[in-house]
Amino acid sequence: MKKELRLTVNGQSYELYVEPKTLLVEVIRNQLGLTGTKRGCESGVCGACTVILNRVAVKSCSVLALEANGGEVETIEGLAKGSELHPLQKAFLDYGAFQCGFCTSGMLMSAKALLDEAPNPTEEQIKEGIDGNICRCTGYNSIVRAITHVAKGQI
Amino acid sequence: MSKFSVIGKRVHNVDGPEKVTGAAKYAFDMTLPNMLYGKILRSPHPHAKILNIDTSKAEKLIGVKAVLTAKDTLGRKVGIWRRFPELCDEEILCSTKVHYIGDPVATVAAVDEDTAEEALDLIDVEYEQLPAVFDPMEAIKEGAPQVHDGVEFNINVTRHIEWGDVDEAFKRCDHIREDRFYCSSQAHMCMEPHNTVASFGFDGKLTVWSSTQSSYYTQVLLAGMLGLREGDVRVIKPHVGGGWGGKVELDATQFCASLLSMKLCRPVKIVFNREEEFTATKRRTPMYYTVRLGAKRDGTLLAKEVRVITEGGAYTCLGATTLYVTGFFSSFPYKYPNYRYDGYRVYTNTEPTSAMRGFGAPQATFVGESQLDMMAEDLGIDPMAIRRKNGMTPNYEIPGQAYIQSCGLHECLEKVEEEIKRQGKLSPNHGIGVACYSFVSGGIFNWFDTPYAFSSAVVRINIDGKVDLYTGACDIGQGSNTVLSMICAEELGVHLEDIRIHAADTGTCPPDLGAWASRETLMNGNAVKAAAADAKRQLLELAAAKLGVNIVYDLDIKDRWIHIVGRPERGLSYYDIVREAIRGKDGEMVIGRGHYTPRRKGMVSPAYSFGVQAVEVEVDPETGKVKLLTATTAHDSGTVINPLACDGQLEGAISMAGGYGFCEDQPMDNGKILNPSIGDYKVIRSLDMPKTKILVVDTYEPEGPFGAKEAGEGLTNPTAGAIANAIYNAVGVRITDLPITPEKVLNALKEKKKKEST
Amino acid sequence: MIGNFEYFAPKTLQEALTFLDKYGDKCKVIAGGQSLLILMRQGLVAPEYLISIKGISSLNYIRSDLKEGLRIGALTPHRVVEKSAIIRSQFAVLAEMENKLASIQTRNWGTFGGNLCHGDPAGDPAPVLIALSASAKVASLKGERSIALEGFFLDYFETALQPGELLTEILVPPMPARTGAAYTKFNVIETDMATVGVAVSITLSPNRDTCESARIALGASAPVPIRAKHAENVLKGKKITDDLLEEAGKIASSEAKPISDIHASESYRRELAKVLVKRVGKEALARAIKA
Repeated sequence: MKKELRLTVNGQSYELYVEPKTLLVEVIRNQLGLTGTKRGCESGVCGACTVILNRVAVKSCSVLALEANGGEVETIEGLAKGSELHPLQKAFLDYGAFQCGFCTSGMLMSAKALLDEAPNPTEEQIKEGIDGNICRCTGYNSIVRAITHVAKGQI
Repeated sequence: MSKFSVIGKRVHNVDGPEKVTGAAKYAFDMTLPNMLYGKILRSPHPHAKILNIDTSKAEKLIGVKAVLTAKDTLGRKVGIWRRFPELCDEEILCSTKVHYIGDPVATVAAVDEDTAEEALDLIDVEYEQLPAVFDPMEAIKEGAPQVHDGVEFNINVTRHIEWGDVDEAFKRCDHIREDRFYCSSQAHMCMEPHNTVASFGFDGKLTVWSSTQSSYYTQVLLAGMLGLREGDVRVIKPHVGGGWGGKVELDATQFCASLLSMKLCRPVKIVFNREEEFTATKRRTPMYYTVRLGAKRDGTLLAKEVRVITEGGAYTCLGATTLYVTGFFSSFPYKYPNYRYDGYRVYTNTEPTSAMRGFGAPQATFVGESQLDMMAEDLGIDPMAIRRKNGMTPNYEIPGQAYIQSCGLHECLEKVEEEIKRQGKLSPNHGIGVACYSFVSGGIFNWFDTPYAFSSAVVRINIDGKVDLYTGACDIGQGSNTVLSMICAEELGVHLEDIRIHAADTGTCPPDLGAWASRETLMNGNAVKAAAADAKRQLLELAAAKLGVNIVYDLDIKDRWIHIVGRPERGLSYYDIVREAIRGKDGEMVIGRGHYTPRRKGMVSPAYSFGVQAVEVEVDPETGKVKLLTATTAHDSGTVINPLACDGQLEGAISMAGGYGFCEDQPMDNGKILNPSIGDYKVIRSLDMPKTKILVVDTYEPEGPFGAKEAGEGLTNPTAGAIANAIYNAVGVRITDLPITPEKVLNALKEKKKKEST
Repeated sequence: MIGNFEYFAPKTLQEALTFLDKYGDKCKVIAGGQSLLILMRQGLVAPEYLISIKGISSLNYIRSDLKEGLRIGALTPHRVVEKSAIIRSQFAVLAEMENKLASIQTRNWGTFGGNLCHGDPAGDPAPVLIALSASAKVASLKGERSIALEGFFLDYFETALQPGELLTEILVPPMPARTGAAYTKFNVIETDMATVGVAVSITLSPNRDTCESARIALGASAPVPIRAKHAENVLKGKKITDDLLEEAGKIASSEAKPISDIHASESYRRELAKVLVKRVGKEALARAIKA
């Protein structure tokens, strides 16, 4: 039996009806059509589905949608403001911090959550901040450089 | 001052804005109106006869629209080595026999994924289990179970490479070593799983969107298996979340989704889950290596004899090429006057082994570089010295096998050696290991039997000077879209933002064999350069006439300015000439065509990349844990077209190749893969990644566009060997089978301690 | 594929306990769900009713009291434990352990109590809490009871929680004077699950010369997290030297009952237990000396 789910996603309010077993990632991708958030595994490990829920990074495949009821979700689609890219997005372009791009949305949301919480992170903290996101392409170091650049700019 | 306007600059990836905003669409994201979801039923047995399949209960489940088995197909077999029908051994939907755990036997289309999955449970399959064999060393024995009928000793493919006289040469050697190695499997573990949306229309035409490395191969192989005309099959490659050799061949998502769609005239989408990704796709080929190496006292290598038995798995796929490549690169990057290789690919009842980044060369390099260090130690020679003594040089030829033009190996050795010296004395339990490597920039063999040029491109110039570039090249994340746009812009003399690339849609783009064996930059790059040159020629013809230039002068275009070479002040605007050219052609756009197929030059490949990598490790002698500290790589890929992307390949390869060296593995029990999930399959994450240093070596490859050659795959070759050598340097133990786990290191250390105390 | 279920989200402990009492073994409790959802996806757990307790804000707290010690509400997210100033200053070993637990995303949503109720013998919090002599407060409609952490785990993924019971709080008694505690786990990938995990707490005698008491807890070394009591006795009452720690490690290794799996053999796990007990013991000692 479907239950009511109220969510604010990227600043927009939604009223949805979902089966209790629906995962947050399914609501985001299938019901809201926001396919920027990806899904790379079924064991809650790869991090491709990372979004920001109530100001902290979570794996949306490991959160039942109803558990997020009344919450605020930020996805990759909400990162840029109109046509203005977020500094992290610009840095990812400048540093080539992506290749196939499939982990990139999750990676950027983890990076944003990290900098929101700790605007002046150490290199170790940056690596920790993205350690929950698997990238098969870049070897991570370019991503760390991109995030470091943005962090330095924010001081 | 760079002589290039576009090439060599650090530019944004042309797909970047889409990828960093979540706007990039993968087949994974696609939905179409009226679409159904498909799932695949798989064999739980490694080897069995299919006695009966009863799909009646599944068909009755509400929401199920079709349940298909082999009887609903044309009964054909597919294989990528089309020139050799006996190597086209995969039915995909099995008819009479299953050959590995995971082999598909039925496929379902339903209104949603859950229903499709439920339906699978309702399909009854009656199997008669057959004896199975999992180890190639067992499978080649007399009396072993036959994986495929009529294949003696389960030997699927053999390869032989030979030059000189190895037996005679060994007699002249001062020192000979014979060693055995085992190279393990590895999963591609692309972040985007295999998936396909197939839509067959009432007009009898099939359109397919798939996560593929080759839309051309998919088109041709699908057409063949489904009995359609190639021209009635259109394959579109959206953004792809990684490939590394796992998405080159026809896969079950493509075949089953198309089959279901043809039956229902509705779009069908099939997405593999992660377990299917690990167990029912293709993987790196495990190999048993026996190598004999002979040298003179002064370190000159005289003879090398290699024998490899590979675990082929249930089907041939690209494993036939891997068998060759591993034997070929066992002779690189050193000058062996005498060499012999015999390779045997052996069928087993396990997940098929095929191609994965490096294509057999990482295995060859792990073995070769490990043994070379062992030889150096035997002879009392410094490991760098022995490499310098024997390393290949530019314009080196192995008659009948390979012709190497550019070769920056020695520059790479020099740079890495400088870097190692700069390190100075290492802390206790730290060690540095070095490995040299080389790789092809695409191969020349046409086992696919294509009648087309290996790469083609079309350039179309619009009235406003904007350029549309059409190419079959497949960007799977390696950045070919950007590299090819840069080559086009450079040749045509315009800016990168003037180029709009359309790629890998077989309906609109000319064919290209796809992204594998690191061929796109050189092969498609040459095609793109030729197409751009063709278009440019049409503009220059008109410009020459307008300028009334003396016949001895050449014209060129740079920065949207058509001018006399050496006299840039005399010229015309590119935009003006484009407008006039179109008018001059009766209103037709300026269209340039180009293609490239490598000819006999280079024999196996038109060009080879080279490089040297040094890895520093720290070994914990009480637990055997190996920490990767730094990886320094000097890579020769000729002219670097896109430095940002090249660096990305260098660093990225380290995480994948390092993983092959020490943590990635697919242990099996009676043909069942025991760790088919991310988490249980261990990969390097950001906290595990070593510091990376990239050293630039400048060479020019005449065969490549603007002197470029490959960068993405060769870099996967050295790391496992460098790690093995580094561990030996650190704590004096040599591990010869991959992956190098802490347990293996600790056991070896204990053995060593025991030996030393006696 | 996750099966269908009916979903309730009580806002108070009383409500939650009422549901548990009503639905008995037909229901499962979900807190952060970071472990439970994986089991449900694999079909290993398929409850008819899911009771979501994450909304019970009264169970999300960290309180410290000089007499009673540290009290962590069961629904406190791992990340909150990790960053808590109280915990970092008074029970640093807990924060250090949390820092290496899975990933930040998991720690943001997964709860301290949920991890313990999952009962994975390879879990990180359990050996640390056992070393710190922690106890669990468990509530049901019938009342409350306290269970020592070392008695909380019965078998693989099986805890002492009875039907109708909910873990509400973890109580960590104040660290005695001259006590140091440390934890480390062995893995190949940095924040991976423990191949073997070891927590040691050492309390020195008043003259700081000898070991007054020691607690050694092993994770991923048996069907449940265990105390290596014989190894503890090796240290008790003696001056702790490197040799003694080596001895304790050997004994602890023999007390372990590890399995062989694809990640490590039984003998390798025993070897790791030996080495880690020695190393973690040394670290705990150093901290005790400074305390």
